Amino acid sequence: MITGARVNQTWTIARLQLTRVFFSKRSFWVYLLALFPSVIFFGHGIESKIRSDRWASRATPIAKLEAIRIGDSEEEVLQRAGFPINDHRNEGRRRRVRGREEQEVDRRYMMYFDGRSRWNLRFEDGILQSKMSRPLLNFEEDRQVFAGVFQYFYLRLAIFFGCLGIFMNLFRGEMLDKTLHFWFLVPARREVLLAGKYLAGLIASILIFGTGAALCFGIMIWPQDAAEVSAFWQSYGASHMFWYAAAAALACVGYGSVFLAAGLLLRNPIIPAVTILFWENINGVLPAALQKLSVLYYVQSLCPVPPPMEADAPLLIKLLASPAEPPSAAFAILGLLGVTVLVLWAASRAVRRLEINYGID
Amino acid sequence: MSAPEVVFDEVSKFYGEVLGVNRVTLRIPPGITSLVGPNGSGKTTLMNLMAGLIYADRGVVTMRGLSPRDPENLMRILGYATQYDAAPRGVTGFDFVMTGLLLAGFSASEASQRTQRALERVRMTEAAPRKVASYSKGMRQRIRLAQAIAHDPEVLVLDEPLNGLDPLVRAETIALFREFSALGRHVILSSHVLQEVDIISDQVILIANGMIIAEGEIRSVREEIHEHPSQFLIRCRDAARIASLLFEQDHITQIQIQDDRLGLLVMTRSRREFSRALTRISLSGHPVESVVPADENMGALYEYLIGGDR
Repeated sequence: MITGARVNQTWTIARLQLTRVFFSKRSFWVYLLALFPSVIFFGHGIESKIRSDRWASRATPIAKLEAIRIGDSEEEVLQRAGFPINDHRNEGRRRRVRGREEQEVDRRYMMYFDGRSRWNLRFEDGILQSKMSRPLLNFEEDRQVFAGVFQYFYLRLAIFFGCLGIFMNLFRGEMLDKTLHFWFLVPARREVLLAGKYLAGLIASILIFGTGAALCFGIMIWPQDAAEVSAFWQSYGASHMFWYAAAAALACVGYGSVFLAAGLLLRNPIIPAVTILFWENINGVLPAALQKLSVLYYVQSLCPVPPPMEADAPLLIKLLASPAEPPSAAFAILGLLGVTVLVLWAASRAVRRLEINYGID
Repeated sequence: MSAPEVVFDEVSKFYGEVLGVNRVTLRIPPGITSLVGPNGSGKTTLMNLMAGLIYADRGVVTMRGLSPRDPENLMRILGYATQYDAAPRGVTGFDFVMTGLLLAGFSASEASQRTQRALERVRMTEAAPRKVASYSKGMRQRIRLAQAIAHDPEVLVLDEPLNGLDPLVRAETIALFREFSALGRHVILSSHVLQEVDIISDQVILIANGMIIAEGEIRSVREEIHEHPSQFLIRCRDAARIASLLFEQDHITQIQIQDDRLGLLVMTRSRREFSRALTRISLSGHPVESVVPADENMGALYEYLIGGDR
């Protein structure tokens, strides 16, 4: 049979399979996984917008707030900046150890808004002790948070488990539904069937998680300052988007192949899920040679912003979350595709041997 | 040109520790062949081996010269209607048949025409736009049959194809099998309705516990069974006299005169000797109206070879 006909068959199989992947009841939770961070960012954006709108009428000019000095009294501050948006005095007195002597201190907190940032003032016994301003929305910080969500949630959890659900069901799910023989009774090589099903899973997972990540990124940007966003797009915004999309797509390529093969070789999805999850998450502490046998090793190198990590985070968390030694982008892409081809080759061997046995007659 | 036989050569299949079929050797010529045996005897295993849904642990299966490990070519000449519904959820009967043809590489227009023809042949044209999920058992059976025949296969393998069909459709389906068979094709089916097997089969394969008990035309299989006397039903006017004459023969083991005293059920250990004796009696002035074998059918073969439990 000529190659063109096999390509047509692959596409026909993928097209038919796509409907099953997208509308299967088993896929429902995959959508939830993909959309969950968007909901969080949307909530954050809405909350910031509402606060900004609510406080806008009581905003204090920034010059007045900048004029406030540490050591000013409460009266001086109120006289200079007017009534705050938020004013909170501790109920009762608090004890404070100063040397060995215990003293009672009267604390008061005031919050002002300059139209963009919150100003938090802390008084002790009527004297200003600290002054901190913090933008209501911090684009730089939100991008860091997105980087963390993308690496820790999307790559390590959502795409991982999403691909587990989608790709393991391509064969194992149909075996459970007693419908796999439909595909085995068509005049197509088993490898063509494998390719068609893999293509369907790939299209579905890339669309679901690519859209999920892009939506999340868009929602993260949506409430930000327009000038900052414009500057971002003019500098490296498009590049960031591209590499996030590439990392998500390649994660689907890699995990998809692994779980497709696992679905052909094993009956119980829990065993490969736990094993691969463990392997992927200790990737950063593995020897260099073994790191290359991980999907995460390649895709995290493509992420444009390193994920945030608290300095005082526990060592174990730091170790597990630490990225492996990053390869170059070209090496990462070629390496991942190489690993994928290897895994798909093993899967094609398995599918040729796969037998249907829903029960002895 | 492919060899026109389905061949099993010393084929064994095990499901772990459980025997599927053991050392099966068969040469199935074109025509209608029925696989008969009790539940769990290995009928579906044989069919799945033919279609390449499972593979032999030992031995070789050849389907008109093609290996079941070559689905790309085999499935162009083979149609298999299994016991299981393969239709995806929400799909209509038309789309179910059409999909198989599209996957087989037919163009959309050719696939559509073939789908129409197949649906007409199984009388499912009206129900075709409805979802398979809403079909009755008989309709599901017919839509599976439509899918199996839509690409005009040389070998039709059917697992219990007449289950759930009403008498009219059953007759039409049998006619369809005969039509296929008349074109020199294979129709291999399993059935536990032995009267049907009698009517439709050119040859039968009896299987029990994963082993072939007998194969061939029903009559020749019966002739090979020497442990059980052959039974003949004779219609005549002088039943008592003919009975007494027959009893003089050594090969006659039992005779029952029927209630109307116009018929005899005769059991003999030698069909040839019985035939000669009856000819002599008839020529000696005791006319015989008819003689028909009473146990040359699947029911009797089944009972003799496998036992009463079907």
